[in-house]
Amino acid sequence: MDGDEQRVRFLSLLRPIERDLENYSRRMVFDRHDFEDALQNAVLRAFRAFDRYHDDASFRAWMFKILTNEIFSINRKRGRLAQVEIAVDPEEMEEFAGLEFATDVPISWDSLADALDEEMLAALHSLNDSERAVLLMRGVGDLRYREISECLGIPLGSVMGNLFRARQKMRDAILRARKRSWL
Amino acid sequence: MKCAEVRKFIRLYLDSELDAKNSFEVEQHLESCGECAGLFEAEKKFDQRLGRFLRDGLPTRALWEKIEAQIAPSRSGGIKALWPVALAASLIIAAGVVFLARPRTLDLANAVEECHSAYAHQITTPEFSGAVPEKIAQQFGGRLDAQAFAYRSSEPSFTSSGARLCHVEGVPVALILGHCAETPVSMIVFKKSELDHFPQTKRKLESGDPIACSRSGRYEFAARIVDDHVVCVVGDEPRPALEDLLKTVRRADG
Repeated sequence: MDGDEQRVRFLSLLRPIERDLENYSRRMVFDRHDFEDALQNAVLRAFRAFDRYHDDASFRAWMFKILTNEIFSINRKRGRLAQVEIAVDPEEMEEFAGLEFATDVPISWDSLADALDEEMLAALHSLNDSERAVLLMRGVGDLRYREISECLGIPLGSVMGNLFRARQKMRDAILRARKRSWL
Repeated sequence: MKCAEVRKFIRLYLDSELDAKNSFEVEQHLESCGECAGLFEAEKKFDQRLGRFLRDGLPTRALWEKIEAQIAPSRSGGIKALWPVALAASLIIAAGVVFLARPRTLDLANAVEECHSAYAHQITTPEFSGAVPEKIAQQFGGRLDAQAFAYRSSEPSFTSSGARLCHVEGVPVALILGHCAETPVSMIVFKKSELDHFPQTKRKLESGDPIACSRSGRYEFAARIVDDHVVCVVGDEPRPALEDLLKTVRRADG
């Protein structure tokens, strides 16, 4: 494949996921001005390494992995250490497979819109790096648990544990928003 | 499937992580149990609302055009009008680059930078550890040998996590992926007979210098000839540390 063909093929894979990569980058960087640098560096790095990308792998997962490394590196320079927490033993997977249902989750979402976004943004910022990365890889990147595990180099159980905790915190944010809307 | 079991699986079901058999049983249960179906609907709404919040934002077209332009430079007619300026600027820059780069960067150091950079950024990972698998040995084409993968440093801080076959400027090389303490360090080994592809480095190593050092992009680089192979080390380590590391490199089977 010559250089032009390679560029065309790379762009054809990149364009459908540009929106997801940008949303992920915006919400992952410690300093909001860094999201453009993270995206640009990651895309150029991916293109330079494109001859090592294999068709049998998910391009989406491959790009998210490169972008995540770039973001962690930038965040580290900003003084925020990207510590990917390995807090859950794989044997604990069973525990996180279950779900504590928030039975009083509000049904009328629209009436809560403003308070909700505000609380959810605060909750997202309160997540640690690994919780946020896992939540965004799943919620924005639409990656499988196995792909997230490979991207972050953490066991599957840790992916589930981080996802469980992140969702629980986001669920709590919704409940707080509902209480605020009643006041 | 009972309610407790369904509630245990429902999050995996929503994330499409449940196998077909259990997914079918969850679906069957939800059709017949109003309470679980209500909880499922509430969780689904939570997912939808969270997804809407997380994905809230359209791509910034100007930013993506800028990024894409760096991948596929524009060839529009407007550029043609500027070609004399661009040519002059290119010549000045090229002359500057040649002047600055020539005495400091060896050809082999330049060639291996990308290889190490991909490893340092975790784009490249080991293919194997231990003996070279047959399917990889079949790709040597007579230009590399399994002994190239057997080099190790006796420096206690150096550890290797595995190796892979790579090509540098078309030359097949053994890429041994290691760390010095926490810092990624690549050891790149190839047959001495391939050194003709890197004439600067060849001259340097054959001029009596036992070790050839250079910058390698943002990394340091050192190379020496050991037996029938050229061994290079690249990493974000001080040059003397890489030289010391290289001096302790021996073939494990030698």
